[in-house]
Amino acid sequence: MLQRPTSFATEALRYGLIVLVLAFIVFPILWMVVTSFKPPQDVMVSPPRFLFTPTLDNYVHAIWEKNFLFYIKNTLFISVTSTVLVVVAGALAAYSFARYNVGDGHILFFILSTKMFPAIAVILPYFLIFRDTGKTAVGRFLGVGLDQPGALIISYTMFNLPFAIWLLVSFFQDIPRELEHSARLDGLSRMKVLRKVVFPLAAPGIAVTGVFTLIFCWNEFLFAYILTRKTASTITVGVESFFTLQGILWGPVAAAATISVLPMMAFVLLMQRYMVRGLTFGAVRG
Amino acid sequence: MSQSMSIPASQTRRPATMSAGMSDRWFSILLITPAMVVILVFALLPLAYALDVSFRFADLTRGRLGDFVGLDNYRIVLADEAFWKSVGVTLQFTVSAVALEMVLGIAIAFLINGATAGKGIIRSLMVLPLATSAAVTGLFWRYLYDTQFGLINYFLGLLHLPQPNWLGDYTIALWSVVLFDVWQWTPFVALIALAGLQALPKEPFEAAELDGASTFRVLRTLTFPMLKPVLFLVLVLRTIDSVRLYDAVAVLTRGGPGTTTESMTFYLYRTGLKLFRMDYASTMAVFFLYAMLVASLFALAPLLKQFSTRASEG
Repeated sequence: MLQRPTSFATEALRYGLIVLVLAFIVFPILWMVVTSFKPPQDVMVSPPRFLFTPTLDNYVHAIWEKNFLFYIKNTLFISVTSTVLVVVAGALAAYSFARYNVGDGHILFFILSTKMFPAIAVILPYFLIFRDTGKTAVGRFLGVGLDQPGALIISYTMFNLPFAIWLLVSFFQDIPRELEHSARLDGLSRMKVLRKVVFPLAAPGIAVTGVFTLIFCWNEFLFAYILTRKTASTITVGVESFFTLQGILWGPVAAAATISVLPMMAFVLLMQRYMVRGLTFGAVRG
Repeated sequence: MSQSMSIPASQTRRPATMSAGMSDRWFSILLITPAMVVILVFALLPLAYALDVSFRFADLTRGRLGDFVGLDNYRIVLADEAFWKSVGVTLQFTVSAVALEMVLGIAIAFLINGATAGKGIIRSLMVLPLATSAAVTGLFWRYLYDTQFGLINYFLGLLHLPQPNWLGDYTIALWSVVLFDVWQWTPFVALIALAGLQALPKEPFEAAELDGASTFRVLRTLTFPMLKPVLFLVLVLRTIDSVRLYDAVAVLTRGGPGTTTESMTFYLYRTGLKLFRMDYASTMAVFFLYAMLVASLFALAPLLKQFSTRASEG
């Protein structure tokens, strides 16, 4: 847009407002990190204390007494497995949609429409089905049952596939067809073209899709809350164990929240360039 | 930054003569098979199951699924005041949260777009709430809202403003959930609107400038019409998310005080997994799904078309 001549006053006003907005956005996160380093006696005080001697007590409490690393380990295993499944199945399908236009857009349309499914509508059947499979030998072996990782992996794979396919289609469309064409003329099979030409070229897009999927799985709450109790619980459910009879232990909650949020923030900052594209399913190539 | 909602690409089809061995058609079907199996089995099968349960008696405290009862569950659910109240709460939340996020987000996008320096760092700080989980940061917001130790009331006290009981007051609790949602999702609207603004072509605006058009006129006749597809997309994405409100309610208020913040999703969860009336809960799920499908026919059709054209153009 065209820059109109601006006075110093309007610029000052603009930056004043921007600082206000940023303060509103950053402050809750900042206060969470600050609280996580407070000595326990400084957390539940009124008025809130801004000056204190930082300590790691809350982290020690979260990790040793509440066993928070256990939830991190579960979350990591479930999220990474789901992400791998989503990316592999999604990339194959997305390539097919982008290049061969299989189903003339109708199948792709159907896949997007599953995004409208309210998760809660399938969660009761999931609960009933996994309750049954968990009792069978095969279900136990594969870990597909209530409070077992397989149930969440299936749920997350299903619920992230539509998003991943749409985003990946947009990335595959950016790759010029000519390269595949000449590789085919050189006598490579279709599968080889896919492996040696297409996927390496689409690697950044595949990585971006993977990171987005990982973030969604990492932060998921509804399925984790309903399908797990203890052994397969993820961090979002794990923080619930900080509710005690004396009330919520805010210091350790802040520590646990900080541990679980920081890696995702790092990812988001790394992927800033692709944020808009990822959040709109590839529709806006910001 | 470049952006395109629809790329006019020439329809170049792969020549059919290239197919040695497997045909393109079979190869393309083979590629989508794993994903389609997952989607069909794990989306449609559970839905069929929910539909089946919605026609049966199913009280989990009394064991397994019971007999067919016809439309009884539908009659009971549609006459259930608590159900309609949860629908009301959901609509109230969706309309207010999405409206606030859109207005604030667009305003912030204009604010940042006009900034001369520091856009990079501004954007970096803006994306942070999007990385957090509503369940984890939402829980921490309870601490911010706390009437005794909370920072929000502390600041209000310094300014000699009233210090409400954010999560305990019947008239305020839902607004506190809205405020949290606005905190988390306004940056999302702002980021996408900003990308839209930065991708606008320069020429029409230069011409308008030469003609001496007022700022308001430029906004009304040029900027907003050109931004419309992007803004519509954001609106739809936010609406879909908001009607499923669960995480924030679960960690902030648990539906309370009373049932003033009980969203449809939360009521459904409570009916099915706390009261173990799977039949009523499944009926609500079917109803919810039906409402979403109808809504998508009317509101999402243009968006889906936009998506599909883009896909088939690739």
